[in-house]
Amino acid sequence: MPETTVPTEDQVLARVREELAAIKVPGAEEATMDTPWSELDVDSLDLVELVKALEDEYGIQISDDELKPIKGVGDAVALTIRLAETQNA
Amino acid sequence: MSDVVVTGRGVVTSLGETADGFFDALIGRRSGIADGTGACTEFDPETVMTAKEARRSDRVAQFALAAAQQAWEDAAPEGIDPERAAVVVGTGVGGLETMERNTLAWLQEGDRAVSPMFVPMMMPNAAAGLIAMRFNIQGPGWSIASACATGTHAIGEATRMIQRGDADLVVAGGTEAALTKVCLAAFQRMGATSRQGISRPFDAQRDGFVMGEGAAVVVLESERHARARGAHVYGRVAGYGASNDAFHITQPDEDGRGAIRSMTRALEDAGAQPGDIGYINAHGTSTPYNDKIETVAIKAVFGTNGSVPPISSTKSAIGHLLGAAGAVEAVASLGAIQHGVLPPTLNLTEPDPECDLDYVPDGPREAPGLQAVLSNSFGFGGQNATLVLTGA
Repeated sequence: MPETTVPTEDQVLARVREELAAIKVPGAEEATMDTPWSELDVDSLDLVELVKALEDEYGIQISDDELKPIKGVGDAVALTIRLAETQNA
Repeated sequence: MSDVVVTGRGVVTSLGETADGFFDALIGRRSGIADGTGACTEFDPETVMTAKEARRSDRVAQFALAAAQQAWEDAAPEGIDPERAAVVVGTGVGGLETMERNTLAWLQEGDRAVSPMFVPMMMPNAAAGLIAMRFNIQGPGWSIASACATGTHAIGEATRMIQRGDADLVVAGGTEAALTKVCLAAFQRMGATSRQGISRPFDAQRDGFVMGEGAAVVVLESERHARARGAHVYGRVAGYGASNDAFHITQPDEDGRGAIRSMTRALEDAGAQPGDIGYINAHGTSTPYNDKIETVAIKAVFGTNGSVPPISSTKSAIGHLLGAAGAVEAVASLGAIQHGVLPPTLNLTEPDPECDLDYVPDGPREAPGLQAVLSNSFGFGGQNATLVLTGA
């Protein structure tokens, strides 16, 4: 069952780190809200896997347009929380 | 004389992950086959790539990159013009494990279960692409697929690229990682693989090949380029020939006409006579058809009056590496020239009256004057390729 309550920033950050570690991104565990994808060497194919994990975890759908401006961990966490608030309302 | 020389060698096989270690195992009569396959059980991709790179590449590309890393370090081509370097590394079947895993996931869970890495992991040219990225090879890059002749075609076509002037240096070879349940079942269903699980080329009791896996990659250079930078030269690709059977999709031409054309063209390309060849590294699959027909073809080219040189099959020790086989066997052939010793054909204990040549069953055998080796590969699809390799 997907999570239907709105997750906290810490919860989503932990989930992002966990998924990045699962796809073997170096430095995933140390990533913070300020870490850009460029610092983690995360590319578009990694993002496809991260998006699927967040969608499954929080019962949301992330469109390609919404993903475009996402440049790092903090953006991804904020987007996930915003979508959990609106899509699960 | 061909001006294309070999300056680097790398292998990943069930008998070792260095060219020298692999050849030592061959002449030590060791077998890499266990439980009916020649699996590379010691292989650890993270010795040559990061965990992320390993996760994003199929085993077939991992083998190739590992072999290429060895060959590149062996050749040590620092300071070369990257635009004059090329890569031709092929595979018989590509990223089969990736194909099967994603197909199963799609059947069970639908589109979202398919990995975004599916295509770049499965595509047959993935290995060539990763090798180019690793070594900054900016000239031509592509892969070859001619089933069990892939590795030999790759080395032959890479030789042509250098001869045409397309590149000064080409990283060439073959790779295969097809020991999946579906692929094993498929070869069993078509009656190609041994039910006994024994690779015994040219033996009366042979009943099919044993599947192996691995890769071999060589660095080829124009002799001028290699000499100018003081590279060590292991040998020379003196001749290359190729042909089609144009007969049947899996069964060889019963008179061996395709194989004869392939061998004859390689000899002509080398400017060699049959009598110049001191050893034949046979395709020697251990299938009833291949070994009988290859014997017929060799006799047609080399004569029947005791003029056929000694022959052996590397597949007796490591099984059939499909798209990697020809490249691995080229490395074995170069080892025979370098060390002046012929590897044996293992498990040949009961001669087949239709396979009545000297297959070195009691080897290794000293061959101190060995100068030239002919190496055959014959693929499903009726696609044949032969190399003539000589000393430096």
